Amino acid sequence: MTQPVATWPPMRRDAKSAEFFDAAACDELLIKKCMHCGQALPPQAAVCATCGCTEISSAPAVGTATLVSWTVVHRAPNSALAALVPYTVGVVELTEGPWLYGRITGTPSAGMALRAEFVHTDEGESYPTFARQEAR
Amino acid sequence: MKGTSIAGLGLTEVGKVFDRSATDLAADAVRLAAADAGLKVTDLDGLLISPGTQCAPKLSLQKVIGLQNLRLLAEIDALGAGPAAMISHAAATIAFGGASVVACVFADTPLKPKDFNCDAFGKQRSLPSGFASYHAGIGAITPNVFYAMAARRHFEMYGTTSEQLGAIAVGQRSWAVDNPSAQLRTPLTLDEHQGSPLVADPLHLLDCCLVSNGAAAVIVTSTDRARDLAQPPVDVLGWGQAHPGRVMHRDCDFGLRTGAADAGPAALWMAGVTADDVDLLELYDSYTFTVLITLEDYGFCPKGEGGKFVSDGILAPGGALPCNTGGGQLSSYYLTGFTPIVEAVIQGRGQAGARQVDKKDVIMVSGSGGVLEHHATLVLSGAGR
Repeated sequence: MTQPVATWPPMRRDAKSAEFFDAAACDELLIKKCMHCGQALPPQAAVCATCGCTEISSAPAVGTATLVSWTVVHRAPNSALAALVPYTVGVVELTEGPWLYGRITGTPSAGMALRAEFVHTDEGESYPTFARQEAR
Repeated sequence: MKGTSIAGLGLTEVGKVFDRSATDLAADAVRLAAADAGLKVTDLDGLLISPGTQCAPKLSLQKVIGLQNLRLLAEIDALGAGPAAMISHAAATIAFGGASVVACVFADTPLKPKDFNCDAFGKQRSLPSGFASYHAGIGAITPNVFYAMAARRHFEMYGTTSEQLGAIAVGQRSWAVDNPSAQLRTPLTLDEHQGSPLVADPLHLLDCCLVSNGAAAVIVTSTDRARDLAQPPVDVLGWGQAHPGRVMHRDCDFGLRTGAADAGPAALWMAGVTADDVDLLELYDSYTFTVLITLEDYGFCPKGEGGKFVSDGILAPGGALPCNTGGGQLSSYYLTGFTPIVEAVIQGRGQAGARQVDKKDVIMVSGSGGVLEHHATLVLSGAGR
């Protein structure tokens, strides 16, 4: 009997996330930027955390980050993830400053330099994951 | 300003209780608390309600119990900080004459007969979309995952270890042995803690709280009135809340500091005491790590030294700073912020039997909601009996 191939739960766009997923499909990490004070904000931001301004625009991130913290998940949070454990998720600090949760590939360590890579699937939207940035 | 006290305590059966809805359980807890105080439910003129994961109980609880002409009625949702927040709102309202006898209640039924514990808080009830589907799709969901990342950051920054978290679990289990209401009463060794399965590294199964169905309620009234009622009053000396509104950005203190660092000192100041005066701690312990970071934030040890502070059994029976003397959420039962409050009232009254502590003049109680996002502190006293 063959094991079914484990697939990650598909992501689905809504009006607020459409731009983010469109960018991911083109291998680009799209974040937000405050039009008033210039503060870089996470992709889902609707308000500037620094000045409270609601005039927010989209801006591409360079796609590099450092690892702030992480966990290797051993017990699946729900049945959709049961065949995917153990996996590593972390919180990453983008070079622009905002923090983002992301799946981490490779062995994690504090402060590890990361680079966004993009997953393209037939099931749902494209999305970023984060891998160790190889020294150049 | 009038002094206020907790005059009644109601605790339903907790654990695998499947035959009662959250609303039914809440009504039971209010009736039990009123009877415990020597009051009739018709003596209540205030009702504060903290809803659980089932979006119940709601304001309709008033009619379920049959309460008329209330002067105070509200739902107060601050997640795990909700129960302590309710008691502070009740005390403030009573102190200024807005109500005289207020019941504060929480109930929840997250457990279903066939669930494993994680499903209670991890189930996708509808298919998420947008950024929620991003988080679901990378597996960054449920409290276990986020608390694990918080703990991992503390470990990396300060050298905290899993064995140090284990000391908290072991100490609390020692207390639970003497608590008839506790679900886990078999003594625990550090080896058993270390050998329990990893849930989300670095958290083992025995770092995580239980999941329980049940309800708890207290009756808050003026200290003058409480003295004439059926139970020894447990006085409400101070309270504080802090909701930092963490911004996930460079320099964020996630995993390193919580609202406890603001709420704790505020509550102690209101009570006119300091951390050195605290006889007994009842701390929200969704995870062992929650206890550790709260101890640091309250000032019982310097920031970053929580691991060393807890490792020699200071919190366990016989230790200098008794903590979670009923076993806490790790070993007794999980009724969010009510688990530490119930034990504080029992200890404050001197009714804890074999686990009763000697000194209970200043009892510090914490409630923590979200992923270390909402904090409420109470300072109670069992000195007035």
